Amino acid sequence: MNNTLIIGQYVPGNSVVHRLDPRTKITIIFFFVIIVFFANSFWSYAVLTLFGLLSMFASKVPIRFVMKGLMPIWFLIVFTFLLHLFINKDGILLLEWSFIKIYTGGVIQGIAISMRFFLLILITSLLTLTTTPIAITDAVEQILHPLKKIKFPVHELALMMSISLRFIPTLLQETDKISKAQASRGVDFRTGPVKERLKAVIPLLVPLFVSAFKRAEELAMAMEARGYQGGEGRTKLRELKISKLDIWIYILFICVIIGLFLTRNYG
Amino acid sequence: MGSTTVGTKIRFRALDIAYIGMFSALMMIGANITSFAPFMVVGGVPITLQAFFAILAGIMLGSRLGAISIAVYAFIGLAGAPVFARFTGGFSQLLSPTFGFIIAFIFTAYLTGKIVESFSTRGAYIVAALISTVIIYIFGTNWIYFAYQIWADAPPEFTYKLAWLWMLAPLPKDLILAVFAGVFGYRMRHIIHKPNSERGVNK
Repeated sequence: MNNTLIIGQYVPGNSVVHRLDPRTKITIIFFFVIIVFFANSFWSYAVLTLFGLLSMFASKVPIRFVMKGLMPIWFLIVFTFLLHLFINKDGILLLEWSFIKIYTGGVIQGIAISMRFFLLILITSLLTLTTTPIAITDAVEQILHPLKKIKFPVHELALMMSISLRFIPTLLQETDKISKAQASRGVDFRTGPVKERLKAVIPLLVPLFVSAFKRAEELAMAMEARGYQGGEGRTKLRELKISKLDIWIYILFICVIIGLFLTRNYG
Repeated sequence: MGSTTVGTKIRFRALDIAYIGMFSALMMIGANITSFAPFMVVGGVPITLQAFFAILAGIMLGSRLGAISIAVYAFIGLAGAPVFARFTGGFSQLLSPTFGFIIAFIFTAYLTGKIVESFSTRGAYIVAALISTVIIYIFGTNWIYFAYQIWADAPPEFTYKLAWLWMLAPLPKDLILAVFAGVFGYRMRHIIHKPNSERGVNK
């Protein structure tokens, strides 16, 4: 369990999508999320779907991982589809059964909105499936770098994210250990009235907070001892580099945007 | 202790950075606490202590650092670490209608911190926690409503009232937890400002 948590959703690989610079991926996804809302015709959706499926196959990530990304919002998709199906009254009457009336407009609208969600989830899932959280943190630090001019603490934010990612597995183990230790002393989390159960959590939370803060203080001490001075002049273990591949992907994506705007209101 | 960052003003000490990083990792435990201590499972749905931990972030770290630690938590979740409830994470979570709650927790930590910085009685801690819970509900429910309106083009039949009716079910549980957070936070408020020797921790 701990291993999967460190890397999160990341599926290791060496595909084209994996090799892209994380900054490229974040930029493209940012604009993709915006242009999806501009699609309004069959062909414009087709252009976007083609791009989405192409990226998915190029990433060589098994489909079941992508489908897992759908889990948190499948309810939203189904709910929206049904809502549009039953309520939209445009077009020709397709089906009538007691009080339920389904029109063509509802079907088309329902499919279009579901498609929009599918595309959004597909493309955003691909980012986290092909990039480690640490790589994303590095990329965000680089992208936000210009904000340093207005005194936005970009470097500090990235460092906090790295520290947090580093300590998640440690704290998970710690929590597990404490909860077992307290259970062996007879703490019962499962039975009794709410008040008793809330009280039972206290022997878990207090040692957890104390040990977490103790670790934080030790870490800070170690940083001070090594002369941590903030972002200026610090070198990096992992350097990001824009390659030829990134440039080609940018060109491809610009073609997709042009394609989308040419096919809007068409078909 | 006081190292300077960019510029002349001291903004984050190394200790602040470590506390923030650590608390956002703690938020992850709070979101999934029931996998360690199954103390509250309401109707098969494991509850999370996210709001509870967000309130504690404000109390323990103060308004500024507390709010930043929750923001960092939101960022690492979006970056793909499975830190949200039920070990979910990833950039697509941004589209989840309940993402508004994660954003609301940032305000929660800030507001709770601000209140307890001015009033330091136990009553004030509880009131701060309760006010924060109300803010979470107002913000989160509005987010759900607008998420459906904007992302899903929901028809007018999905009314504002409907969104609120949905959210009423977990309210009593969250109010109890808010009072608990206030009392617990009051007892724990000094934990972070004491050296280890006074805290009764030995290696």
